[in-house]
Amino acid sequence: MEPFHAEPNYIIEEAPVFSSGHNACPGCGEALAVRYVLNSMGPKTVAVIPPSCIAIISGPQPYSSMRIPVYQTTLEASAASAAGIRRALVRQGKDDVNVLVIAGDGGTYDIGFQALSGAAERNEDMVYVCLDNEGYMNTGAQKSSSTPYLAYTTSTPGGKPNDKKDIAEIMAAHRVPYVATATVGYPEDLARKVAKAKEMRGLRFIVVLTPCLDGWGVPDDGAVRVSRLAVQTGFFPLYEVEEGERYAINVGPTPGWPVERYLETQRRYRHLTADQVAAIQAHVDHKWSLLHARAKVECVPMFQGAEI
Amino acid sequence: MSRPPNEIPTIWTTGFTDVFNTGTWRAATPVYAWRPSPCLVDCPIDNAIPRWIKYISEGDYQQAWLELVETNPFPAVTGRVCHHPCEGHCNREVLEAVVGINGLEHFLGDHALDHGWALPEAAEPVGKRVAVVGGGPAGLSCAYHLRRLGYQVTIFEARERLGGLLRHGIPEYRLAAQVADREIQRVVDLGVEVRTSTSVGDSQAFAQLREEYDAVFVAVGAQQAKRLPHLDAGAGAGRVLDGLDYLRRCIEGATRGLGERMTVIGGGSAAVDVARTARRLGHRVSMVALETRAVMPAQREEVEEALEEGVALFDGAMVTRVEATAGGLRLDCVKVQLDPTAPAGELRPLPVDGGGFVLEADVIVTAIGQDPNLTAFGGDIRVDAGVAAAAPDTAATTAAGVFAGGDAAGTSRFVSVAIGDGRRAAYGIAAYLGHPDAEVVVRHTLEQAVNRNEVNVFYFDFAERNEKAKAPVAERLTGFAEVNRVFTPEQAAAEAARCLTCGTCIECDNCFVFCPDMAVKKDDSKSDSPEGRYVILDQYCKGCGLCVAECPRGAVHLEQVTQ
Amino acid sequence: MTTLTTGASQAGMPELLPGDVRMLLTGNYAVSYGAMRARPQVVPIYPITPQTPIAEKISDLQLAGEFDVDLMTAESEHSAMSACITASLTGVRVFTATASQGLMLMHEMLHYASGAMTPIVMVNVNRTIGSPWGFWPDQTDSLAQRDTGWIQLYTENGQESLDTVIQAFRIAEQLLVPAMVIHEAFYISHALEPVVVPAQERVDEYLPPFAPQHRLDPEIGESWGNVVNQDMFYRHRKRLGEAMARVPETAIAADTEYEALMGRGYGILERYRMEGAEIAVVAFGAMCGTARVAVDRLREAGVSVGLLKIKLFRPFPIEQVRAAVAGVPKLVVMERNFSPGVGGVLHQELKAALYGMADPPQVHGYLAGVGGVNVSARKIEELVGKAMTEEPVAESVWQR
Repeated sequence: MEPFHAEPNYIIEEAPVFSSGHNACPGCGEALAVRYVLNSMGPKTVAVIPPSCIAIISGPQPYSSMRIPVYQTTLEASAASAAGIRRALVRQGKDDVNVLVIAGDGGTYDIGFQALSGAAERNEDMVYVCLDNEGYMNTGAQKSSSTPYLAYTTSTPGGKPNDKKDIAEIMAAHRVPYVATATVGYPEDLARKVAKAKEMRGLRFIVVLTPCLDGWGVPDDGAVRVSRLAVQTGFFPLYEVEEGERYAINVGPTPGWPVERYLETQRRYRHLTADQVAAIQAHVDHKWSLLHARAKVECVPMFQGAEI
Repeated sequence: MSRPPNEIPTIWTTGFTDVFNTGTWRAATPVYAWRPSPCLVDCPIDNAIPRWIKYISEGDYQQAWLELVETNPFPAVTGRVCHHPCEGHCNREVLEAVVGINGLEHFLGDHALDHGWALPEAAEPVGKRVAVVGGGPAGLSCAYHLRRLGYQVTIFEARERLGGLLRHGIPEYRLAAQVADREIQRVVDLGVEVRTSTSVGDSQAFAQLREEYDAVFVAVGAQQAKRLPHLDAGAGAGRVLDGLDYLRRCIEGATRGLGERMTVIGGGSAAVDVARTARRLGHRVSMVALETRAVMPAQREEVEEALEEGVALFDGAMVTRVEATAGGLRLDCVKVQLDPTAPAGELRPLPVDGGGFVLEADVIVTAIGQDPNLTAFGGDIRVDAGVAAAAPDTAATTAAGVFAGGDAAGTSRFVSVAIGDGRRAAYGIAAYLGHPDAEVVVRHTLEQAVNRNEVNVFYFDFAERNEKAKAPVAERLTGFAEVNRVFTPEQAAAEAARCLTCGTCIECDNCFVFCPDMAVKKDDSKSDSPEGRYVILDQYCKGCGLCVAECPRGAVHLEQVTQ
Repeated sequence: MTTLTTGASQAGMPELLPGDVRMLLTGNYAVSYGAMRARPQVVPIYPITPQTPIAEKISDLQLAGEFDVDLMTAESEHSAMSACITASLTGVRVFTATASQGLMLMHEMLHYASGAMTPIVMVNVNRTIGSPWGFWPDQTDSLAQRDTGWIQLYTENGQESLDTVIQAFRIAEQLLVPAMVIHEAFYISHALEPVVVPAQERVDEYLPPFAPQHRLDPEIGESWGNVVNQDMFYRHRKRLGEAMARVPETAIAADTEYEALMGRGYGILERYRMEGAEIAVVAFGAMCGTARVAVDRLREAGVSVGLLKIKLFRPFPIEQVRAAVAGVPKLVVMERNFSPGVGGVLHQELKAALYGMADPPQVHGYLAGVGGVNVSARKIEELVGKAMTEEPVAESVWQR
C-alpha cells in the first residue's frame, strides 16, 4: 500500500448529504470542504449557514445541495442560531441530531465572533466549522481579520498591514472540548476531525483552510495543491486541541520547505519583495515555535511529501 | 399554507440541486486513459512494467510474473544482463532515485524458476508453420510468441545447444548457464521443435526453408568478430584473440598458455566480460577503450565491478602499434579525443599531443564488436551496412515471408533488444499470415508517456532505492559464481512500493476523493483495466481538472470540449 | 355591525375562577407568569433595564421547578433573537423579552423572524433610546419597529400584560406572525398590582401545543432561507401582508375565547365612556389608565369626553378605529413617543387611518409624555380643554 495522505489509516465514510449540481466555481476548495464536512456529519444533522459562498453553494430556492435541513441565518448570528436549534431539539427529545454551523471567516473571525464566543462560553452543543478562505471572497475579495499579513485584497491593494487572527488559539482559550485545524489538501485528516468532533458534545470548532481560486489567484485545478503547500511550508499547521490544553500536531512542515513555495502559487502574494517574503518566513517560524511550546513537544513531522 | 400548483414556494426547499446540469459549464473533460509509462516506452520488449510491479507490491508474485512474461519469456536472464533502459526516464527520480526495475525483474524471474512456474500455454494451432533460424534470444523470443499465437515453430540452431549469446557470450558470473537453460527450456516446453547443430549455411538451404515454411525468421546473431589488422601484424599469430573466441574458449576450458598479462581492447560489455573473466582466470588485465568512462557503451555497473576486480582501465585511448619483444608484447598507446563532428555511430579518434604511453602484455583480446554473417540470406533480402534491413515494427525484410531481428538486423547488441525484436517479429509474422487476433506491435514514444509534470509525487513517501547486494570482490575473483544477489522478498516489496505506476489506474480513489462536484463515480461493474473503473458524470463535471492534478500517476487527462 | 369587543373588567378586582391564583405582582412579574402559563420551551434572553425582572422571575420559577423551560442566557439581544428564530423554526414555542437598546440591536433579526414566519412572542418594556442615556418610559423603541412585520399589542397594566402574552401566542401561532407585547418602563413594569394568574389547565385548553407543519427536522429535510428571485420575494412579502391583514379578526376571536374561558377580555381597542362624546382622548399603553381618571373627572364636570384605547397597533386596525370614532367630532392624541420629522407616531397613524373617511373627526396631536415625562390626569384634562377650544394643526404639538 502506498501512503496517499496524511492520515493513511483513516477511511473516509461518506454519507450522501452533499449533492452534485451545486453552484460552486469549478475546482472550488470550499465545495470540497463542504463535501467532507457534510458527508462526515451525516443525514441526522441540521445545519446553519450565514451569508457566504457556502450559502450560494447550498442552492437557490427551492433547491438545496444539502440533503439535511439547512437554515440560512444572518452573517453575525450563526452560533446563536445553532444554539437555538440545539435547544429546541433537546426540548423535543431529538438528542441524536447533530447541529452544525458552516460559516466563512468573515462570519467567524469578524462579525460572527461575538455570537461564537458567547456560544463557546456556554459550551453550546454544536460542531462549528469555519471554512476559512481568508477574506470576504463572496463579495469580491475584501480583507477580513483572517486575511494574512501582506496579502492583497480589494480592500488592501497594497497588502494587508496586519496579521490574521489566530482563531484556533482564540477558540482553544475558550477551553471548549475540541478545536482543530484542517484543510482540503488532507481530506482524510479533515473527515477524521469532523467525525471525531461529531462524536463529542459541547462546542467543537474546526477551522478549515479553503483556497479561493478567484480571490487568491489560483488555477482551477490548484486548490488542493495550494492547500497542501500551506501545510507543507508550515504556513497553516494541522493540529488539534482538546479542552484547551491537550495539543496534538498532526502534520508538521516538510523540512527545508520555505514559505515562499506556498506564496508563489498565489496571485495575491505576487507583489511581495524578497524582504517581505523573509518577514513572512520569520513570522511562520515564530508561530511554529509558539505552537511547539504549547504542544509541549518537539514537532516530529508525521508526513513528508514532495512537490514538483 | 396551500399555494397554486407550479408556483415555486418562497421558503422551505422542495428539492435538491442534483436536478441541475452543471456539466454545461465545462470547457474540458477528464478522460481516463491508460498511458504508457516511460519505463514501458524505454523497454525494448514493450514490457508493461508498472502492472507487474503493482502485483509484486500486492504480494501476488505469480500474477506479477505472468504479466511480465506477457512480453518477455526470459525475466531471470534479463533481470541479470539487461542494460535496463527502463530506468532511464523513471519519474520516481523526482523524489529521490529511479525504481530498481531490473532488480525486481531479477527477483521475479528467480522466484518463478524456484517455483517451477510454466509459461502460458500455446494457443490452439492455427495451421501454419514458421522456421526460426538461430536459437539465441531473438529466435527464442519469436518462437515463444509464435507458439502463443498458435503457430508451429521449428528452431534451426547451428550449435549443439540453444541460447546463442546467452550461453556462449555472457560469462557465468553475470548469468549462470543453468538460469538461461531453464528459461530456454520453458519456451521449448511450449512445443517448439528444435533442430540443433543444424546450420542454414547457404542460399539453397534458405530457399528450401522458405519453401517448407509459411514464414522464416532470421536471427542468426552477429558471429564475426571485427578485427584490428594492424595488431595482428605486429603481434604475431596466436597473440591476438577476439573476445567471443576467448569467452568460448573459457567456457570450454581452453585458455591455458596465454600468458599472465592481458590487454583487452574495447569499451563495450563484451570487452568488460573478457576483462573480468580474465581476472577470474588469474590474468593481470588492462583495458583500452576509445571512449571515456562516461560514454563507454558498457554498463556503468559492470565497469565499476571490473575496476573493483582489479582491471586497469585506460579509457579515452587507443593502441597504435604492437611489437613483439622478448618479454612479450609492447603496445604503443595514445590518449585520444573523439571527433565530435563525426557522423553518428562512427568513432573517429583524434590523438592527443603528448598523450603517448606504453603497455606490456602477453596476449591481446579485441572486443570491438561483431558483424552478422548473412551470406546464406543476402541473395533474398536486402542487407544495409552489414545487417539485414528489417521494418522496425514487424521485422519484415524485403523478401516476402522473411523476417529478421536481433543482432542480424541491428547494431545495438543488447539482449533485451533481441528479445523485443523476436516479439515484434512474431506479431509481424502473424499479421503477415493473417492471424485473426494478432496486431502489429505498436511502439509508444516518450512524448506519449506520462512525464514528470504529470505525476503527483505528494502521494508517495521518500524511500531509498534498493540495490542488489554484490559478492565481495575477493570472493568474486575465486570463481564464476554470480556477482549480483537477488533481492530478498523484503527488498522486493520495498522496491515495488516505490513504483509510481505511471499511466495505469490503480484505483487509488484520488480523482473520486478530490472532486468538489461528486462528478466522479466508481463503477464496480466495470472490469479491472488499466483505465480503472471510474466514470465521469457528464451532468455534473465542471471540468476543473482537480482529478487530473491530483492523479498521482497521470491516468486521467483533460480533453478540450470541442462542440 | 361592530367587531369591537369592549374591555369590561378594568374597574375593580378581576374575578377568580377555579384554579386561578391572585398575586401581588409587578407588571414584569405578571409577564413572567403569563409566559410560564403559555409553556414556551425555549427562552433565549439577554438582560437590560427595565426588562430584567422578567428574566429574573423566569429564572426563579425555573429553579423552583414550576417553569419547565430552557433559559438560554445569550450574550446579546441579537443572539437572543437569532436563537428565538431558529428554536421556533425547529418547532418549539419561544418567548423572550427586551427593551430599548436591546430591541434596537434586535432590529435586523425582527425582520428575519417575520420573514421566517416564526410565531415568537416577545415582551418589550418601553424605554428611551440613547443617546443620551435614559431609563424612562417612552414608546419610540417599539414604534421604531413598526415596519418589521411584528404584531404589536400595547397593554395598560400587569394583568393585561399577562393575559396578552397568552393571547399573543394564540394569534401568532395561528397566523405564523411574530408578536410583540409592549408595556412601559416602571409605570407598568415595576408597579405592583393584584394580578390573577389563570389556572394552567385553562390556559392549556386555550393554547394548544405548537406543532408547525414546516420545521427544521432531519425527518422532513426541508431547508429554510435559500436565495429567492424577485418574483418569489414579491410573493413572500405579499403573503406576509395577507397574514398581517388577518390579525385583527384573529386577535378579536382570540380575545373573545379568552374572555369566555378566563373571564377577562380587552378587545383590540377599547371605547371608554364614548357615548355621545364630543371629544375623545386617543392613547395606548399606561397613559390609558391616567386618561380614564381624566375622562371620569371631566364627565363629572359635564364634559362629553371619552377614551379610545388602541391596543393593537400593528397591524393598525383601520376599520375598527374608524368605527370607534364615527360621529366623534374631535380626537386628541396623547403621545409618549416622538419620531423626529413626523411627530407623534400614533397621531400620524391615526390621521392616515381616517383619511378618506366620510365626515372624519379633527385630530389634535400632543407630544405630552415624550421621554417619560409624567402626564397627570390634570394635564390630560387641561389638554382636552385646550383641544376643544382650538383648531387642530397638521403637526404634533409639544405640550408639557
